[in-house]
Amino acid sequence: MGWQTGSGITRRQLLVGLMAGAVGLAGCGGRQPAATGTPGRGGRATGRRVTLRFSYLWTGPEAKALERLIAKFNESQDRILVQGVSNPDTQKQLAQMSSSSGFDISDNFGSVVGSWASKGIIRPLDEYIQGDKYDLSDFVPAALDNMKYEGRIYALPITVHTLLLLYNKQLLQAAGLQDPPSTVSELATAIERLTKLDPKGNIQQLGLGLPSYLAFVYPFGGSWVNAQGEPWPDNPANVRAISFVVDHIIKKYGVEAIKRFQSGFGEYASPQNPFYVGKLAMTIDGEWQAQFIREYAPDLEWAAVPLPYLDGKPELKGSTEISTSMFFIPSNSRHPEEAWEFLKYLVSREAMLEFAYALANLPARRSLLDNSKFGQIPGFKPWLESLRSPNLHFFPNAAWAAEYQTELTSAFDKINNLKASPAEAMAEVARKMRQRVRE
Amino acid sequence: MFASPWLVGFLVFQAYPILISAYYSLTDFNLFQAPRWVGLANYRLLFSDERFYKSLYNTLYMTVFGVPLSLLVALLCALALNMEVKGQPVYRALVYLPTVVPVVAATYLWRWLLNAQYGYVNQLLGLLGLPQPLWLDDAAWTKPALILMGLWLVGGTTIIYLAALKEVPKVYYEAAALDGAGWWRRLWHITLPAISPVTLFQLIIGIIGSFQYFTQAFILGQERLNTPSGGPEDSLLMYGLYLFQNAFVYLKMGYASAMAWILFLITLGVTLIILASSRRWVYYEGE
Repeated sequence: MGWQTGSGITRRQLLVGLMAGAVGLAGCGGRQPAATGTPGRGGRATGRRVTLRFSYLWTGPEAKALERLIAKFNESQDRILVQGVSNPDTQKQLAQMSSSSGFDISDNFGSVVGSWASKGIIRPLDEYIQGDKYDLSDFVPAALDNMKYEGRIYALPITVHTLLLLYNKQLLQAAGLQDPPSTVSELATAIERLTKLDPKGNIQQLGLGLPSYLAFVYPFGGSWVNAQGEPWPDNPANVRAISFVVDHIIKKYGVEAIKRFQSGFGEYASPQNPFYVGKLAMTIDGEWQAQFIREYAPDLEWAAVPLPYLDGKPELKGSTEISTSMFFIPSNSRHPEEAWEFLKYLVSREAMLEFAYALANLPARRSLLDNSKFGQIPGFKPWLESLRSPNLHFFPNAAWAAEYQTELTSAFDKINNLKASPAEAMAEVARKMRQRVRE
Repeated sequence: MFASPWLVGFLVFQAYPILISAYYSLTDFNLFQAPRWVGLANYRLLFSDERFYKSLYNTLYMTVFGVPLSLLVALLCALALNMEVKGQPVYRALVYLPTVVPVVAATYLWRWLLNAQYGYVNQLLGLLGLPQPLWLDDAAWTKPALILMGLWLVGGTTIIYLAALKEVPKVYYEAAALDGAGWWRRLWHITLPAISPVTLFQLIIGIIGSFQYFTQAFILGQERLNTPSGGPEDSLLMYGLYLFQNAFVYLKMGYASAMAWILFLITLGVTLIILASSRRWVYYEGE
């Protein structure tokens, strides 16, 4: 072959070409076969069932609950056959939506609506809503707002999530604490009393598992956007909240000790979750823990309370982050009308109640918030109460939200490794986002 | 006419993608909407992107430390295997065996071997009384962990070196023995020059492969739901991984294409430099 001048040059061209080739083919809406394909896609002909591909991120027992709903839907009518597949991979999900055809309906968190809608990845639902005169008034208003981008609705919420402070009753009593902390200063005391080190300085029990800063800033009066909706990571309250964790946990016990401790943690969704086995005395987590603990650690004595608020600022009581799980229809769906029918079913009162109960998630419909069924889940009540608070905050839903989260995650990583102070790291993110938002 | 299948293949799978990626590098393209012309903006943004430089540094670190080290270890293994020892085929097979293990499965295994608390690597170090780093959780040790994993895979290079060693004409060794040369002088003046063409080949291939390092970094950096990650403090963010993230996670295909072209130019430059220098240290048979 004449083009073999030197193995190096040819290999390089081949690999660059293949990479670009894959991109090029994808960009042309190429001739790639459907990733989760089913043969016999069925047609509009009467009597032939339309097969809907439903890819979802849930796994394990949560996926089983969803499959029960899918089976019910399939049995209730014979026009549409839904085939569900569990794909807990957000990159794969995005890749499938960029190919010629992937799935017809899927789920994700409401925080992606802004950036996906702005790129035309997901389908607006307004025409279907108006066509069916679909009633949106029962949805929790804040959850429904999270589904909008530039005034159009791109998804419907199935569940909402809030974060509370979970604590191990036995460990608290053993440390001489009568009540769980309700203010920040009480939290600091609790962390100190609940952290145990062995003679060599290794951590055996940590008072509070490192929280997600995204949620932790709210009880300090923090916020990720300013009044104009622009990114505001260097809000002084944010820096104060992050510094609290850095000073009381990371600097106090040492980055290396904490990392060594963390590397021995068991799987999150298993009986070896560090909170269940007493490695963490307190942790900040979501309402699904009520079900997880029921399943993986039924003997654990625990309870949940609102996140401790800044001393002297009782108006910040009950502050926490709220997020939504939603269903959407991608732009490259081959059966959007049928997907809409199935979507309506999934967020209907009956299906939502069953799903939310099975997962111990908060329902996204107002009429379900007082439903007695949720009373059967031990420890779930505090989360239902948390929805009444006026201090619930969503992460901003703008087109630049995904990049903002990435920059913040990178900054948090530096902060937790003590490579940058909270103030420096947040100022850096602010600088980068000012550039990005201007584009 | 007989060349047409190859010609079509070349145009569709090589020439067209190469040209179109050059075009995309001058656009803002998110895969879902039509590309928007932006000229050299992507390149300008790249040069002010801190993560771009981080990924470049990480990749160069792997290349500068990983490639020579693996060549050295491969050569030592080949020299050892070249000696007349009983059961040589068994040792050869053992050295080559790791390269047969699928790389993804092996990487997940290594993830557990390198676990700071329970992994066997740290337990072994503990037995020997050596310090036990946090490996994949410590930004300073993630790349050494990758190099360690790479050394496990020297089997392929070892076999090639072994073949080259067996090709060295025995007359040179006999002449050297007559002149009273010790093993070091024989190694330095006969063996190494004789196998230098192989070294050149392995060096170039190793460097090109190292510039495109992706799989292990991608897997070790994975988080829940496969959200994109570059490891602690972006220490696992290789150039190829950052390119992938830009293309398929952040949907900045134009930006990623620009990165691909910069990598092409860098690789081209480095290869030409090595080839130019090779005239001074590579001896081909018959010269």
